[in-house]
Amino acid sequence: MRSGDWKYWALSAASLLGCGSAWAVPQDGGINFQTPATETAKRVQDFHNEVLIIIVAITIFVTGLLIWVMLRYNKRANPVPKKFSHNTVIEILWTVVPVLILVWIAKGSFPLLYEQDVMPAEAREEEIVDIKVYGNMWFWDYTYNVGTDNEFNVESRMLKVGAPDPSLELQPARGDIAQLSVNNPMVAPVGKYIRLKISAKDVIHAWAMPQFMLKVDAMPGRLNQLWFKVDEPGVFYGQCSELCGKDHSNMPIELRLLPQAQYDEWQVQYKTSPEAARAYLDRVQPAKAAQVASAQ
Amino acid sequence: MAGDVKHDYHLVKPSPWPLLASLAMLVMVLGGAGYMKGLWFVPQGAWWGPLPGLVALIFVLIGWWGDVLKESRQGDHKEVVQISLRYGMVLFIASEVMFFVAWFWEFFEMAIYHTLRANPEHSDLANPALEPLLKWNEWPIAQTDGSLVRPFDPFHLPLINTLILLLSGTTVTWAHHALQSGDRKSAISGLALTVILGVAFTCLQVVEYMEAGFSYDGSIYGSAFFMATGFHGAHVVIGTIMLMVCLGRLMAGGMKPEKHLGFEFAAWYWHFVDVVWLFLFAFVYVAPHIIWGSGAPGLGH
Amino acid sequence: MSSEPKTAAGHGHDHGHGHGHDHAHDDHAHDHQDPKWYSPARWLFSTNHKDIGTLYLIFAMFAGIIGFVFSGFMRAELAEPGLQLFNGTAFGGFFGSEHNYNVITTMHGLIMIFFMVMPALIGGFGNWFVPLMIGAPDMAMPRMNNISFWLLPVSFFLLLLSMFVPGPAGANGFGGGWVLYPPLSSTTGHPGLAMDLVIFSLHLAGMSSILGAINFIVTILNMRAPGMTIHKMPLFAWSVLVTAFLLVLALPVLAGALTMLLTDRNFGSKFFEVSGGGDPVMFQHLFWFFGHPEVYIMILPGFGIVSHVISTFSRKPIFGYLAMAYAMVAIGFIGFIVWAHHMYTVGMNVNLKAYFIAATMVIAVPTGVKIFSWIATMWGGSIEFKVPMLWAIGFIFLFTVGGVTGVVLANAGVDHALHDTYYVVAHFHYVLSLGAVFTLFCGWYYWFEKMFGIKYNGFIGGLHFWLMFIGSNLIFFPQHFLGLQGMPRRYVDYAEAFREWHHWSTIGYWIAAAATIVFFLGMIEALVRRRKAEANPWGEGATTLEWTLPSPPPFHQYNDLPRFK
Ligand code: HEA
Ligand code: HEA
Ligand code: CUA
Ligand SMILES: [Cu+2]
Repeated sequence: MRSGDWKYWALSAASLLGCGSAWAVPQDGGINFQTPATETAKRVQDFHNEVLIIIVAITIFVTGLLIWVMLRYNKRANPVPKKFSHNTVIEILWTVVPVLILVWIAKGSFPLLYEQDVMPAEAREEEIVDIKVYGNMWFWDYTYNVGTDNEFNVESRMLKVGAPDPSLELQPARGDIAQLSVNNPMVAPVGKYIRLKISAKDVIHAWAMPQFMLKVDAMPGRLNQLWFKVDEPGVFYGQCSELCGKDHSNMPIELRLLPQAQYDEWQVQYKTSPEAARAYLDRVQPAKAAQVASAQ
Repeated sequence: MAGDVKHDYHLVKPSPWPLLASLAMLVMVLGGAGYMKGLWFVPQGAWWGPLPGLVALIFVLIGWWGDVLKESRQGDHKEVVQISLRYGMVLFIASEVMFFVAWFWEFFEMAIYHTLRANPEHSDLANPALEPLLKWNEWPIAQTDGSLVRPFDPFHLPLINTLILLLSGTTVTWAHHALQSGDRKSAISGLALTVILGVAFTCLQVVEYMEAGFSYDGSIYGSAFFMATGFHGAHVVIGTIMLMVCLGRLMAGGMKPEKHLGFEFAAWYWHFVDVVWLFLFAFVYVAPHIIWGSGAPGLGH
Repeated sequence: MSSEPKTAAGHGHDHGHGHGHDHAHDDHAHDHQDPKWYSPARWLFSTNHKDIGTLYLIFAMFAGIIGFVFSGFMRAELAEPGLQLFNGTAFGGFFGSEHNYNVITTMHGLIMIFFMVMPALIGGFGNWFVPLMIGAPDMAMPRMNNISFWLLPVSFFLLLLSMFVPGPAGANGFGGGWVLYPPLSSTTGHPGLAMDLVIFSLHLAGMSSILGAINFIVTILNMRAPGMTIHKMPLFAWSVLVTAFLLVLALPVLAGALTMLLTDRNFGSKFFEVSGGGDPVMFQHLFWFFGHPEVYIMILPGFGIVSHVISTFSRKPIFGYLAMAYAMVAIGFIGFIVWAHHMYTVGMNVNLKAYFIAATMVIAVPTGVKIFSWIATMWGGSIEFKVPMLWAIGFIFLFTVGGVTGVVLANAGVDHALHDTYYVVAHFHYVLSLGAVFTLFCGWYYWFEKMFGIKYNGFIGGLHFWLMFIGSNLIFFPQHFLGLQGMPRRYVDYAEAFREWHHWSTIGYWIAAAATIVFFLGMIEALVRRRKAEANPWGEGATTLEWTLPSPPPFHQYNDLPRFK
């Protein structure tokens, strides 16, 4: 481990306990989820951490029993084996107790599932922003304002060191992250209910956003839905999560959440040119600064 | 038989057939692959691709089952061995049932939930490549070339076929009872009748296929329909061959009133094929007809 | 067994003579000699369950080495970010480009499952010990038994061949994952011949398994020794019985799905083609209706083996025999109604997801019964830590770790984040590579002397265990962390942020590789030294029938059926 890694450990340990640090990107050496960025994600992580405690306890319990029998009932400690092979009480216990544990887990699990899957009833029509997402071999494209005169399309490809096309060149100085940054990020406004309608043009892909604890397959012919609502601006990274061929690992998702006004301006810029929009993004939300800001 | 073997199980002699059968299947499959995509000596589209392997396989199977017959005649199939063979056949049929589960599942899913796929809320209809799906409000859905699917009227040929198969179920039982009570002549007539009915079914099915108002590659309806009924048809053919072999053996004086496993298995298989057809008839022909009507009425069969 | 099974009379005949060879008989009257081990016909045309079992084991070992080497390619590639092997230039371009990583991953999964674990546990140990344990002279259908085996090399050949013929445009091999999802596996993603060969390969492997399974069920139902009721039958036979039922009921559905895929690819059908009204999700349903029972197919025989080993080395009858048997039945049954927990992200109706959460978690209950019953068997026993026992205890621990992460994954809400990440990879290697494989080695060391009549070196066996235990934990435990951090599976290249744990994982692989080398060295040592094995090396704890026979057992055992009381 390199020096300074203790920091990650400490932070990860903290997030393990549910305190949550504020890393916006996956962390080297990290041992738990990325920081949750939505309310729902936070609840899902809390739920996971509860289940984690239960399963760790179960594992420790089983291990403890194993160690105990190995110490107490090895050949030296217990030369003459007992002969029993039944004990009704204990058998009932080890059936019923797991059932109770599982019922308890399920009780926490179902509401979260519905919360994730179903757009909340209180979302008013004007608070919902629809964005259409298509998976392609091997890039994403996002369509905004579907069905209006304002409709436009953003094609989003991974940045790469030494890419033949200069607009696809990875520039670490700008805050680009290898395997995660794209030329034209997906952009959405903060404080709105963002509703993605996801499909694919060729094979199955999956749109995944770890910090939202969300993932939905982009399935040819189907229109899958996903919703999220983030209240603070930020930069978020996800990656295609269904095997889609050769460049499956090279079609990440970069999502920029901006205040409404900046979101509108970005749209205006994008219609001039993708480069202009990119320059605008770099100005109002430099990726580097965003990372540093969320990392402290 | 060695003197000190004190059980009735059948310890089979070493046999070349399993290895040869596997190799024949390999050749057949490689030939099939060649037919589909071109491989080694088999150019793409060569219809004869799988034939060499198939012929080899048939020879091997004749040799294999010939050995089984020989062993049976020399008394290797004691009571307990017969029970094993019976269990084996039942399980084989069970696995075949699960095969049909796959086709039925596909058909049901597509027939029942087609509206889900035609629903703009769930389906990606904005994608121009999927234009044909817009016609999904109808089931059976249109074919990719835009033509409408005209399903069969279940109460023409399919109904006749149902009756044929039901009848063949009774004739095969007749033959079985006759064989058991030693009346070989009736057994032969009953079995011959069954074979004729089986062949008649296949012929009518061919006629029906030729008049189909849709095709295997036309749309999911044609695919699911032909896969389910076609796979059933293949089983009818296999069953008919099994019955013909039994008929041949009966006429040649084989099969005893008290022991005739080959006959029993052929009969079980035949009943299984029969039951599958009843399901096909009820759910693939009749139920859609009642629920959705028959696409373009007026079409025969 | 609830009570100490004893054979009252019977095979005393074989017993008296050291080898049993002199009096074992082939069934043809003129041939009183057992075939020589080097006789080709003995192996090519075999109808002897022990020889066929040995063939299966050798085949599984061969396939295991290939699968193991492939996992080495993956770990070497993933040792650090960037492209190490699959960059088109390394080793003279030997590894090709990124697509080949997917090919290797796919082949690794398929080989390990269909050609290593299943042949070894079911074909190998099942063939060897089901007849021996239930007191049968052979399998019910010995000739069919042989085709179950011979279809496997044929099928394996097709699979390997697929790597050298065109897959997607401009590349060779099928790289669509072992789950074979269309449209990546249909003409959209892989127009070439490779995928057709994979389909044929699995057709034949499936046929092999169905025939083998039928044989096991018939043998177990119909050929138990007099007095051995089904409720006295050893647990390994029970486990194979349940497994065989799963095979008979699950594999044909896979065969159906594969056939539809094949005709979609070649004859224009539209089962999974959206443009003709088909639906790729339908394939996933069919696949996982097979696929989930399949994972229990891989672990149940192992459960059976571990039960015997725990009981033998604790010198105590298995705790809760009936509950153990019916827990396996329950696992098998529930295993058929949970398949869509692999499909939480396909866009399934939310109520359906809720159902699958509940159904999936239920499986933890019978599995828990098994875990606790094993511990209760050891409780009060007099435990000897011989090599097989090490693997068995290691298995209980590792399977628990893998099982409880399965329960995490069962919760769709959490699985939305973890699906298709390394958390899943960690989960299933804990239950497979550290579960099923540990039971495999457990059975190997338990029965090695019985099968081959020679002893292995216990120290080397122990070393193998410890290296493997440390190595494979180091490979797969950090993968949980990777998955939680969001590292997707089937990635040839990854972000800098995942370096640390991938690094450790690869180091773990080298330890596991050392373990595997130690394993083979240990086997070579045993072969060279040829120390003569006893009939029952394990003492009074080993109560099942196979230990009443000499090691190795005579070519045909139980000419006079054992009586079981
Ligand atoms: C031997 C193989 C095996 C076994 C036994 C299991 C066992 C289980 N598996 Fe696993 N699984 C796989 C092999 C296996 N799995 C594979 C190969 C995949 C990936 C396929 C792919 O996509 O490529 C997979 C994927 C997989 C998924 C999908 C993940 C995803 O892709 O998103 C899920 C989700 O529910 C799951 C759940 C479970 C559960 C609940 C069990 C349960 O049966 C576990 C039960 C055991 C225990 C729980 C431990 C012991 C119990 C106790 C000590 C009692 C007390 C416990 C409690 C009260 C919790 N598995
Ligand atoms: C039984 C199944 C099995 C086993 C044993 C293993 C063993 C290993 N696997 Fe495997 N793996 C899978 C099944 C298995 N795997 C599956 C299904 C996938 C998913 C594929 C997909 O995505 O489509 C996968 C994917 C997978 C990945 C993810 C790739 C990716 O998503 O990009 C990785 C990465 O590290 C990996 C690594 C390893 C390693 C290091 C081992 C090591 O443990 C290997 C160590 C060596 C051994 C365990 C011993 C080998 C055995 C013998 C030599 C035979 C002995 C025989 C007798 C005694 C008879 N595997
Ligand atoms: Cu797109 Cu993976
Ligand atoms: Cu599963």
